[in-house]
Amino acid sequence: MPTTTLSPSPGRLEPRSRPVIEVRDLHKRYGETPVLHGVSFAVGEGELFGLLGTNGAGKTTTVEILQGLRRADGGIVEVLGLDPAVAGDRLRRRIGAQLQDAALSDRIRVGEALRLFASLHPTPRPLDELAEEWQLDGLLRRPFGALSGGERQRLFVALALVGRPTLVFLDELTQNLDPVGRRHTWDVVRRIRDGGTTVVLVTHDVEEAERLCDHIVVLDRGRVVADGTPASIVEALGGATTVTFTDPDLDVRPLRDLPGVDRVDRHGAAVRISGTGPVLAHVGAHLVACDRPALDLHAQFPSLEDSFVALTQEQPA
Amino acid sequence: MTAPTYPVALPTTPTPSALRAGLRTVLHLTANELRLFRREPVVAVSLIGFPLATVLVLAGVFGDTPDPEFGGVSPSDHYLAGYIGVVLASLALITIPVHLAGNRELGVVRRFRASGVGAGALIATEILLGAVLATVAVAVVLATGAAVYGLAMPVDPLGVLGWYLAALACCIAIGVALGSLLSTGRAANALGNLIFVPMFLLGGGGPPRDVMPAGMQSVADVLPLTHLIGGLRQSWLGTTDDPHALWYPLAVAAVAVLLAVRTERRRAG
Repeated sequence: MPTTTLSPSPGRLEPRSRPVIEVRDLHKRYGETPVLHGVSFAVGEGELFGLLGTNGAGKTTTVEILQGLRRADGGIVEVLGLDPAVAGDRLRRRIGAQLQDAALSDRIRVGEALRLFASLHPTPRPLDELAEEWQLDGLLRRPFGALSGGERQRLFVALALVGRPTLVFLDELTQNLDPVGRRHTWDVVRRIRDGGTTVVLVTHDVEEAERLCDHIVVLDRGRVVADGTPASIVEALGGATTVTFTDPDLDVRPLRDLPGVDRVDRHGAAVRISGTGPVLAHVGAHLVACDRPALDLHAQFPSLEDSFVALTQEQPA
Repeated sequence: MTAPTYPVALPTTPTPSALRAGLRTVLHLTANELRLFRREPVVAVSLIGFPLATVLVLAGVFGDTPDPEFGGVSPSDHYLAGYIGVVLASLALITIPVHLAGNRELGVVRRFRASGVGAGALIATEILLGAVLATVAVAVVLATGAAVYGLAMPVDPLGVLGWYLAALACCIAIGVALGSLLSTGRAANALGNLIFVPMFLLGGGGPPRDVMPAGMQSVADVLPLTHLIGGLRQSWLGTTDDPHALWYPLAVAAVAVLLAVRTERRRAG
């Protein structure tokens, strides 16, 4: 199980595969305003990596620096073994990017955009396959200006993938998608990762990060406040699992001695147990052993969202 | 920043040479932009419609009889030769800045940069696009004017070509600089029109220099367009009263290029 380190002394999850992105002590300021304060993390080859943070946390600045679209003020950045500030266009031709604040001319048609961006790469993906994958095959003659938000988003992802990149950046990918489109997009993102492409997902959507990502870095006000797998971040933050059931006659004192149990409360017939680790399994086993299996045994597990809110509200500015 | 250290394999697929790939990119981008311009009638109005309508009116008003106030040539020849410069001024002050600033404002430039299209390729596309649009517009204006009023053959065709290329280079440089400096398409359109109207009126597209008061002549002398139109008229008609110092518009263009480079570097920070 990889380790997770949380602030105030953020370390980082060492990737299990060869790193394709290395960021060490990255600093950036806009004028007098510091935006990134010593950000460090690494992304392994083939990972589905999530850069998670609230608006203004420094996510977009970080990925712009990773793509060489913005210069860092300090620190070391290597992407696919290259310094983005030096390699510039040479690096960007090897990566795919779906950017938050990018657009196309309103008058360009979907098919024309796909053909144009395919022409920028030596071995582009077959356009009919790409159009079908991103549900653009019925929109090829439609001008960009007439597309809905979700259709535009799908087109941008297709443009990011047209050059068969080994690394792809997806910034706020599902922002304008309806729930059905969102789930379809998640499936396709998993397929991109399964095909061997490293995916960097930039998002403020905790559910999206938790469902999709193998590895997450949480940024808050320009600092890394957590780095690990979704499960390890939740576990390391120490969020409690709460188990509840009703039994007016059960002696609750032995429950306090079960592994991982921190607290047991009784309110009338309702029993509430807080703890960490496999508390639900231990409580269930105890009830069965006492021959009092509760019909309404229920558990509430700590979520990444709980951890995210705690991390981004409690860290000092 | 350190030098690369990771033994990550580079793509094994052979790629065309950087120069050939860059040229191919520029050609694809230019073809795309030309296709999009065809769908945007406003560009044709400002680049062809306005100069064509104005020159037809002026040539019609002043006629085709040689006139001392027009340097001894026919007013229609005077205007038609000079309106090559007016088309180029419209390109420099309106078409290119609105296109560049608008594309940056919308995020189109950012989209291309993220796909590895370099600033050099984008500028080269703008140059090629400007050259094609201007040449088509000039050809339409001259052909229509010649068909309506007749037009003398150039006295010095190579001189006309030389001045045309110099004017094209200057105007594209100024257009790119304005497009870099201005942050929105609307701002570029407003400022471009504000500069274009007095420049074309005083720089050779309006009344002949001899009927202008001395103060207006002094203002006209500092406009690069005055010298470009003067050079075109001198080589086409063999005579002109307009000043035509080639170094002056070239110097303005050089300053424009420096400004554009500085602005783009600052923006990349």
